[in-house]
Amino acid sequence: MKVLIEMNNVSKDFLQGDNVINALKTTNFKAYEGELIAIVGPSGSGKSTFLTILGGLQKPTTGKVLLNGEPFSELEIKEKSKIRLEKIGFILQASNLIPFLTVREQMVLYNKINKSKVQNEWIDDLFNKLGIDKLANKYPNELSGGERQRVAIAKALYHQPNVIFADEPTASLDTKKAYDVVKLLAKETKEQNKATIMVTHDERMLEFCDRVYVIVDGILSERK
Amino acid sequence: MFLATKELKYTKAKFALIIAVIVLVSYLVYFLTSLAYGLASSYTNAVEKWEADEIIITVESNDSMMMSYLSQADFDDVNTDGSKAKLGLFPAVINNPLSTNLLDSRIDVYFFGIEDSFLMPNEVKNLTLSGNKVVVDEELQKEGYKIGDSFGVTGSDATYEIIGFSSKTTYQTAPVVYMSLSTWQEYRYGTNNTPDLFSGIIVQGSTSSLPTKLLTYTTEDYIATLPGYSAQVLTFSTMIVFLIIIVAFVLGIFIYVLTIQKTSMFGVMKAQGISNGYIAGSVIVQTFILVLIGIIIGLILTIITGIFLGDVIPFAINYLFYIVITAAFFLFALFGAMFSVRAVLKIDPLRAIGG
Repeated sequence: MKVLIEMNNVSKDFLQGDNVINALKTTNFKAYEGELIAIVGPSGSGKSTFLTILGGLQKPTTGKVLLNGEPFSELEIKEKSKIRLEKIGFILQASNLIPFLTVREQMVLYNKINKSKVQNEWIDDLFNKLGIDKLANKYPNELSGGERQRVAIAKALYHQPNVIFADEPTASLDTKKAYDVVKLLAKETKEQNKATIMVTHDERMLEFCDRVYVIVDGILSERK
Repeated sequence: MFLATKELKYTKAKFALIIAVIVLVSYLVYFLTSLAYGLASSYTNAVEKWEADEIIITVESNDSMMMSYLSQADFDDVNTDGSKAKLGLFPAVINNPLSTNLLDSRIDVYFFGIEDSFLMPNEVKNLTLSGNKVVVDEELQKEGYKIGDSFGVTGSDATYEIIGFSSKTTYQTAPVVYMSLSTWQEYRYGTNNTPDLFSGIIVQGSTSSLPTKLLTYTTEDYIATLPGYSAQVLTFSTMIVFLIIIVAFVLGIFIYVLTIQKTSMFGVMKAQGISNGYIAGSVIVQTFILVLIGIIIGLILTIITGIFLGDVIPFAINYLFYIVITAAFFLFALFGAMFSVRAVLKIDPLRAIGG
């Protein structure tokens, strides 16, 4: 199986006053295609640091992040942001939808930025699969929490990225809706050969994940 | 563009408010400009009409043509490669002898005494000024005078007959009455032993030599000496410049507040890899669209006002001024938007991913 994203000997130190805080100890991590990986851990344990370094939002103190086998963490900020736009999909806790765009326009925005053609068939296809085809012309504030997360998934999948980062995608959802969302995420990950890395502290969701990592005090370890 | 216009459409009410502010201020600015230009023109129309290169009066007159006394000898001493003409200038108050109330019919005017020269307005070139036959500015037509009518003048028994109307011939906001120089001299100095004096020499071309008692002005310099002219132009332009700066700040602050409100959204967008350039670009495009809509409405209102009030107030449209002001609006608005662009650049995408 192909490795889509990996961390080689990555660590992250922060300077807080005169103290050096070792937020992420030396970490090695690989995500293969078709995998849904969960990252769990108490708050303040380094989950966000892990995810933001993996996503190129901050630089590791040591080590490298490779995306599709190519160096990623060492690129210029502009380059990284271009790669994020094309190769990575984000599903965020607070729903990453833009309030003044309709559900369909959330997808189209990618094409406008990229100056590429709108993939109408792919949008229809995606919306059908995610059961949001009736919501295409609604604005985010007209949607329920579960619907919003499904739209966020559609948005993360629309530009066909290699890797998807999901930061607490089930927060603020009831159990049934949370299950639906994670199941959907697992299914799309498999079908489209993505690697999905989901940060969560919702233990109920772990049964759908292929692997579970625990992060405590900056140390990442796989739960067997 | 996509983000900018979609947001404008979605939050119409919010943006309508700021457009309303721009409309009001731009309306005020365009209106003031037209008023200022109209007023300034009514000071200088008659002077501009000469298309003169130089205007000569005596040093003693202290910039006041009415206090300048020139003789035929002075005229002969002025050497020019172009043409020169004598001008007699003096204010007068005219009245309509047929009116039931003579006092109500009084109008301030300027008497221009001219010979057969380029000082005669083009539109009445075919008429000959002699005796009491005069050409008057079209303002008097609005007051009810017609060709063939006569008017009297305060402080004299003379009456004058209108033989034609000239257009855009006002001097210091008062209509001009063109008459022959000898008629003017009789009005100015009386009919007994009338001296052959006049007020100024108007030159098209350039002068090579000039007696020391005479002073030459360019048209522009001469206009600046007209009482109140510079002060009035300065007052208006100060108001206009400050209004444009104020609208830039209002707009800048408004857009800045909106940008700050959207910090978390922009953070998420940046995390997703949307570039600073695209986000900042849509902020600027939004600013431009707001300014554009605002000033178009402001301009339309100004033009409508001009149509309805043009006869009552000295309202004159100058497209060059409009273009300059419009450009200034955009320039300053861009400056205002820069605060927001700076704010966008500073947003850290890290904030998008909660701890």
